Amino acid sequence: MYRYDDIDQAMLTDRAAEFREQCRRRLAGEITEDQFKPIRLMNGLYLQLHAYMLRIAIPYGALNSAKLRKLAWVASTYDRGYGHFTTRTNLQLHWIKLKDAPDILDALAGVGLHAIQTSGNCIRNLTADPHAGATADEADDPRVWAEAIRQWSTFHPEFSFLPRKFKIAVTGATRDRAAIRIYDIGLRLHRAADGELAFEVLAGGGLGRIPFLGPTIRERLPARHLLSYLQAILRVYNRLGRRDNIWKARIKVLVATLGAEEFARQVDEEWEASDKAAVDLPDTELARIRAGFAPVGFETLPPVSAAFETAKLDDRAFARFARHNITAHKQPGYALIDVSLKAIGETPGDCSAEQMEVIANLAERYSLDEARVTYEQNLILPHVKLDDAPAVYRLLADADLATPNIGLISDIIACPGLDYCALANARAIPIAQDIARRFESPELAEKIGELKIKISGCINACGHHHVGHIGILGVDKKGEEFYQLTLGGSGEDDASIGQSLGPALPAERVAPAIDQLVEVYLRERTTGERFIDTYRRAGLAPFKEAVYAEAH
Amino acid sequence: MKALTANRLTDGEVVFWKQGQWLDRFADAELFDDEAVAEAAEAHAKTQVTLLVEPYLIDVAEVEGGVAPVSYRERLRALGPTNKPEHGKQAQGGAQIEILAHAHGAASSKGRIDLIKRK
Repeated sequence: MYRYDDIDQAMLTDRAAEFREQCRRRLAGEITEDQFKPIRLMNGLYLQLHAYMLRIAIPYGALNSAKLRKLAWVASTYDRGYGHFTTRTNLQLHWIKLKDAPDILDALAGVGLHAIQTSGNCIRNLTADPHAGATADEADDPRVWAEAIRQWSTFHPEFSFLPRKFKIAVTGATRDRAAIRIYDIGLRLHRAADGELAFEVLAGGGLGRIPFLGPTIRERLPARHLLSYLQAILRVYNRLGRRDNIWKARIKVLVATLGAEEFARQVDEEWEASDKAAVDLPDTELARIRAGFAPVGFETLPPVSAAFETAKLDDRAFARFARHNITAHKQPGYALIDVSLKAIGETPGDCSAEQMEVIANLAERYSLDEARVTYEQNLILPHVKLDDAPAVYRLLADADLATPNIGLISDIIACPGLDYCALANARAIPIAQDIARRFESPELAEKIGELKIKISGCINACGHHHVGHIGILGVDKKGEEFYQLTLGGSGEDDASIGQSLGPALPAERVAPAIDQLVEVYLRERTTGERFIDTYRRAGLAPFKEAVYAEAH
Repeated sequence: MKALTANRLTDGEVVFWKQGQWLDRFADAELFDDEAVAEAAEAHAKTQVTLLVEPYLIDVAEVEGGVAPVSYRERLRALGPTNKPEHGKQAQGGAQIEILAHAHGAASSKGRIDLIKRK
């Protein structure tokens, strides 16, 4: 994987030293909280309900064993022995002390990790297809371009005070595993008919209070012009985006107000007037970054592994794991293995320091020293030999990391919600735990098939509820928790925003309601239909009737 | 009835005011019947900038067995995260923690679920 050069490393060291001095001044009373708050936020340090929370950036979700081990060490040394992977592929530590924060940033800098631009109205941590470099349906490796954007956008003086935060997702694949339609900018690499590498550029997607799926503003942007075109988008947004109303300040509102066509026209005008060459990446620099992602260490193997096939026949549990957590790799004889952070009854996305160590060891020994974070709050070992898959499965299972539920009903996205977050109105985690326990049986989960439940504890929608097949939104009614359900959302290729099912339910009614919705699906579905397909065909009515009809 | 709460600057710990001191347990919090006294304490707390972040008053009400914050959010701050009972103030256990854990707030609605009348 790409390694930071001396310039990057010096920036991280300097930044950590600067923050140490700023913390000292705050603790000594030389600066006020009002003065300090924006500084700590720019270093990823939030104050939540019970303690400080440190949000550590994991650019495009890429980890190696050294990074994982350092995260494990920080979690056990300065926190309570665990971390929480988020839908932005960041890691959040929920029990941080302000006085420890400078030491933590120093430790992270040592392995090229940091918390820069994980808060504030700037270009945030990039996300990308977690199958990057391992999937056959890829025109180009999105990490190359994500890393270029990371370098370009880090401390970018012109875009450090945008109207609102700004998030970019990149994929190079045909299938969207990065949810690019719900991002401020979504980028899809493809190869045009004449062989040119190009980006489809989407702008103005986003969830939150007013959800939008991003429209395509340019079908074919020559890849070499990526940075100058991003600059043009950001400039138009910086100029015209609203700053008077926080709820209308995201680029999605600007794009929707102007219309995608007019927005695209203004971006083009800005782009054509700009000095593209001054911003676009020189070929030599692109080649340097690309070299950091060159595949290293793949062996030439037959496409079929006898050991893998035998293990599936001998062990039904492994066969089930293989059906749901193992995906084909572009390299013959290799596979991607999903590490489920959704063990039944546990907190979605939580990973203990011991589990991080296990995954670090597995990545190092079996996956060419790589691991990835997915926006669905799981991890991936991207380059495992099929021959090794049974051994990897057993080691994951020993660490409670092998729940065979990827894409199934218990693979639930949940934000930290009111259990931790100062913005939340209601808890999300216990709702996820209730539902997962109710559908604990792997046979039942498999019978139900693909069903994506996404839970947010407030309208900011960190839990992506708008794009859940079943979305659950926590609301506050007179200081108590209630939950609104939506149906029919999707964040993938068939992206759509969910529709409200009906009035909010009290917490204890949510899991039973999911049961009722699943019953309707199992009753109504035709062959091959997923939950969302049945909903799209049958409509809201039968589901609504099941949950809201008078009980007899 | 009110209580005064804040997060401690050095570690973010939830703390409660009691006659000029800042204590970890809600059970030890001073309860204000007189709004003016509560606001005076809050005004003083706002000057303690090297100790605290964002002090504010919360509503407190009598519940079965004692008193508790009215809002669920504040009860949760006084207890800790419900997904990890071993973390936060709730880990200490005891009768006062039980009172908070079983308190109910102002909302009486059980949700409108019987909306559709079957024929």
